Amino acid sequence: MEKTIIVSNVTKKHKLYDNTSDKIKDILFRKGYGEDFYALRNVSFEVNRGEVIGFVGVNGAGKSTLSNIIAGILPETSGSVTVKGDVSLIAIAAGLKENLTGRENIELKCLMLGFNKKEIQQLEPEIIEFAELGKFIDQPVKSYSSGMKSRLGFAISVSIDPDIIIIDEALSVGDKAFAEKCFNKMKSFKEKGKTIVFVSHSTVQMKKFADKILWLEFGRVKEYGTKEEILPLYEEFIKEYKKLSKSEKEKYREDVLRQLETG
Amino acid sequence: MKSVITVLSEQVKYFYLLRRLALYEIKIANKNNYLGLAWELINPAIQIFIYWFIFGFGIRERQPIEGDPFFPWMLSGIVIWFFFNPSIIEGSKSIFQRVKMLSKMNFPMSLIPNIIIFSKFYSHIGLLVIVMVLLNFLGYPISIYYLQLPLYIFGGYLFIFSVSLITSTLNTFIRDLQMFLQATLRMLLYMTPILWATSSLPVWIQTVFKINPLYYLVEGYRYSLLGKEWYFINHWEYTLYFCAVTFVLLLIGSVMHVKFRRRFIDFI
Repeated sequence: MEKTIIVSNVTKKHKLYDNTSDKIKDILFRKGYGEDFYALRNVSFEVNRGEVIGFVGVNGAGKSTLSNIIAGILPETSGSVTVKGDVSLIAIAAGLKENLTGRENIELKCLMLGFNKKEIQQLEPEIIEFAELGKFIDQPVKSYSSGMKSRLGFAISVSIDPDIIIIDEALSVGDKAFAEKCFNKMKSFKEKGKTIVFVSHSTVQMKKFADKILWLEFGRVKEYGTKEEILPLYEEFIKEYKKLSKSEKEKYREDVLRQLETG
Repeated sequence: MKSVITVLSEQVKYFYLLRRLALYEIKIANKNNYLGLAWELINPAIQIFIYWFIFGFGIRERQPIEGDPFFPWMLSGIVIWFFFNPSIIEGSKSIFQRVKMLSKMNFPMSLIPNIIIFSKFYSHIGLLVIVMVLLNFLGYPISIYYLQLPLYIFGGYLFIFSVSLITSTLNTFIRDLQMFLQATLRMLLYMTPILWATSSLPVWIQTVFKINPLYYLVEGYRYSLLGKEWYFINHWEYTLYFCAVTFVLLLIGSVMHVKFRRRFIDFI
């Protein structure tokens, strides 16, 4: 089996600064300033071609950070990410220019992704057709509803035919009919043997769609395996976790982090 | 040195992308105005009128300046100011404004300041042509000295690009720089022989003024457009100085840019 995504020992460290001068000092001097915050710690996993992998975890687990790192938008602090093929990240209404019309946005986005004029002309009708924007395609994007924006963003991202697709919560917006359409598109991608990374809170979608589940907790991998193994555990955990009060949640977080530090 | 080559080769390799994105930049900027693109010319026209009225008509009382009537004298120098000023200001903001919308990290980041400069360059060429036509009517016909103009245009472009590489990088973590730049540019307008001739000053002050590379560019444009002399040859020491400054700035800018570019998004 060919591996398309290899993530090994990836750590992402953010800095929290007390004031702005610490930020400059931190950039200029070797000696670090500010407080370290780990969004990801030693995350390692591999994905085979044609697999659909779902990222699950509670808020702040590092799902979005990880998907951004795989997409190459955020740099990792340490460790390495190897990705074979073109990656396309589908996030809600990412990078649309409010002043430009839908059509101009399509052209601009495709240009930035490295397509030439001729290729864009070929792609354009397909994107417009998929986005179902009707007359609005020639209106500025600022007049769009949020559903329309996400439809346009989604349509662009899927039409450029990437090898690896990362969907960050993008299927949860828009109406049912469009979500269904996106789902079918995803299925056809899966059949074509493309790798799909899928970030969602919804375990229902995961059950329907994913092959493997990566469960993140406070920036580290808690479990990784097939959905049959992991999803029941995760659902069990979520049920328990929801019952906890705010202070208990905080305590749980501290316990886990302490365990991590002591190894 | 390696960084300079990286940065420059990206500009060459992605020239098509640069040109197309620069056109979009102009489109976005003028989209909401009824007069659209015309503002790229109306705006300078209004400023030129005001400066002429205050400095030429008012303060100088319609006297010639360095042997020329004030209006063509000012016109030939101020034309580069309308390229220089907005390019520096917008160029320095370019990266932190745009880095978020780049959906891919392998987008050649050094293109971003250049996209802005290139979009300003279009209107600069437009304005320059208009100034040339005007000068023809004002008694300064096309001359052999026009041939040196591309040198100053290229030099000016490279200088602005080099400065923008530095400022756009610094701007990602020191936002105050924007304020500093605006203040400096406002000052530069008066520290350069754009609106008044510095030849009345003591020689040592003139020399101090000449540290400013914009001084060289303004004089270069003026001597070409008014058809006076081969400025870059007659002032070859100053030409060397300008080239050296531009190169050093390009070197610093490229090194900084390449060093920090992977982390831009972290800074913001």
